[in-house]
Amino acid sequence: MSDINDLVANILKQVNNSDTASTGSTNSSSTSVSDGKQYGVKDYPLYEKHRDIIRTPSGKALNDVTLDDIQNNRVDRKDLRITAEALKMQGDVAGDAGRKTLQMNFDRAAELTKIPDDRLLEMYNALRPYRSSKDELLSIANELRTKYDANICAAWFEEAAKYYESRKKLKGDK
Amino acid sequence: MKRQKRFEKLEQRPINKDVIVKEWPEEGFVAMKSPNDPEPSVKVENGIITEMDGKKREDFDLIDMYIANYGINIENAEKVMATDSAKIAKMLIDPNVSHKEVLKYTTAMTPAKGQDVICQLDFGEMIMGAKKMRERRKPANQSHVTNYIDNPVELAADAAEAALRGFAEEETTTAVSRDAPFNALSVLVGSQTGRPGVLHQCSVDEATELQLGMRGLTSYAETISVYGTDRSFTDGDDTPWSKGFLASCYASRGIKMRFTSGSGSEVLMGYPEGKSMLYLEARCILLSKASGVQGLQNGSLSCISIPTAVPNGLREVLGENLLCMMYDLEAATGSDQSFSHSSMRRTWRFMGQFIGGTDFICSGFGAEPNPDNTFAGSNEDVYDYDDIHFLSRDYGQSFGIHSIKEEDAINVRRKAAKSLQIVFKGLGLPAITDEEVEAATYADVHEDMPKRDKVADMKAAQDMMDRGITAVDVIKALVDGDVKDVAEAILNLQKQKVVGDYLQTSAIFDDKWHVESAVNEGNDYQGPGTGYRLYDDPEEWKKVTDIPQVIDPEHFDM
Repeated sequence: MSDINDLVANILKQVNNSDTASTGSTNSSSTSVSDGKQYGVKDYPLYEKHRDIIRTPSGKALNDVTLDDIQNNRVDRKDLRITAEALKMQGDVAGDAGRKTLQMNFDRAAELTKIPDDRLLEMYNALRPYRSSKDELLSIANELRTKYDANICAAWFEEAAKYYESRKKLKGDK
Repeated sequence: MKRQKRFEKLEQRPINKDVIVKEWPEEGFVAMKSPNDPEPSVKVENGIITEMDGKKREDFDLIDMYIANYGINIENAEKVMATDSAKIAKMLIDPNVSHKEVLKYTTAMTPAKGQDVICQLDFGEMIMGAKKMRERRKPANQSHVTNYIDNPVELAADAAEAALRGFAEEETTTAVSRDAPFNALSVLVGSQTGRPGVLHQCSVDEATELQLGMRGLTSYAETISVYGTDRSFTDGDDTPWSKGFLASCYASRGIKMRFTSGSGSEVLMGYPEGKSMLYLEARCILLSKASGVQGLQNGSLSCISIPTAVPNGLREVLGENLLCMMYDLEAATGSDQSFSHSSMRRTWRFMGQFIGGTDFICSGFGAEPNPDNTFAGSNEDVYDYDDIHFLSRDYGQSFGIHSIKEEDAINVRRKAAKSLQIVFKGLGLPAITDEEVEAATYADVHEDMPKRDKVADMKAAQDMMDRGITAVDVIKALVDGDVKDVAEAILNLQKQKVVGDYLQTSAIFDDKWHVESAVNEGNDYQGPGTGYRLYDDPEEWKKVTDIPQVIDPEHFDM
């Protein structure tokens, strides 16, 4: 029974954090751009209404990303990526539009922006059935928490580890 | 027996080549309700679902657990589950009840409750439901862009023509999986040549698909499949948690994404657990909702021959599309894989989605003749274009596409082929000759194209991935080749990924890169005189009515 209680507490924590993420929670990653400001449906589309605020990962304004910049190597592929801050803002918009699960997805995604492509693919593969031992999943959870400050995603892996054990989806269970 | 002449002729009709079977609930051959389906139920204790559809929490499989933890709006669950299903069904078609008000009920339903509500509706009522519950105000459409030999030049030309015809999304896949990078690149260049703002995807295995997106060679993904039973899901080599994580991976790279599911898939995989197709699909829809994806492609899709073999099959298919909308998700509503020899049945396949209007009526419509469709053929292909335009004109109803002039098609096909020629040159890929450009401009089928060195192309496609080629390199090549407008379009697409507006529910772009989604262009249908009407949209209506086939009465010879 305590197992279920832990789980319940875990879920509630995540749901609660998600609902209040934009007003500042321990789980939210730093939002240097939004400064705790709550965005909403009225701010959408951000491209039209807040282009001045949105930055590329290296801090460039979108108006400073032109064909000329690309031609002269002032912009590389890493600069054409979404940031955690923009995902937080989109999460605010989704939440304000009544789509809490979409907001939760954007909150997880915001944490994942920092993880290199190859490592991210490896993490996904580790979550597929019969790929990982419980320890391996917990070790990724630890990596997410300590290396990437990705607390929501760490909890995701921990939750998976728990259920994969009881529902037989761990390495060797096949 | 001496044959009766009429019966003999009837037997020869195309419809009688279609296979239909008796219901067989034990093996899942039942569309809407199986005797083995659970009755709807929910128990909530301290904000946690402890019982769902007759199963206690300790007996939940991974799918149940995931849905109970994340998919259902728990706040309203007990109230909604105690509401008569017929009452909720009536709200769907009652013009006095708004889209938003209905969602308060429908997002709190368990899978069996969702199934029960759908079972209250006949086909016409489902159409009414789709009119109100579709997320985006204006319906749109998606095409398939493929050919049998993965010819990149023809892909670019077909992608450009489809974009000009109005498709908001384009989906390619490969004849040979190693061609994937070239297919993605060709459709990227073709689509942005045809009409800036069109989104495109390359349907391949999960990991490759994500990689192509990360490099900016695609702009959305769709073939992220989920299934309604635990064994099917595991056979699909994922769990709900891995799929949910994958959803976040896509969002973290600014790539639009929807899941895919559909009735009949569990039957084909051999693990329907005796349940009806609708009940299992309701679980898939809730899994998608729980994952936080913005939308779902459903409506049986490549498994369409299974539901259409049993009674109520196509009613079920529209029902599962509607149920997707009722959980506040973008709906890309199938009408894709071909299934019938009868042109009448083939047309009726999409009538509910067409008249109701959905976010993407087809997912997708073949932008090539069916023998060149490497998704195994679509229910609609290029030779149906004019039929569709006539239907749109007849009913004043949008199919998301419109008629184009032959000379415009020729121009845009040539420009796309030339642009790809320039990109291939700039990236050091095997040259595209002027002869190929000219052939692609006028081509209908892959046989119209000069042969390419397939082995060299395949090697170069792999090499392109090894070299880390991205959309930025494509843009550079286009600028170098002085095709600035296409370069600008591809750059704008990348900039939109930085902002992420198109990650919101049901998002598409117009040609000025203005996003249209459920957030800013939500469906406001609430009975007669409201919502999107093609005949009240002057620009689009003209494209559908003012077509070359029309005879002007002024020119009648009296």
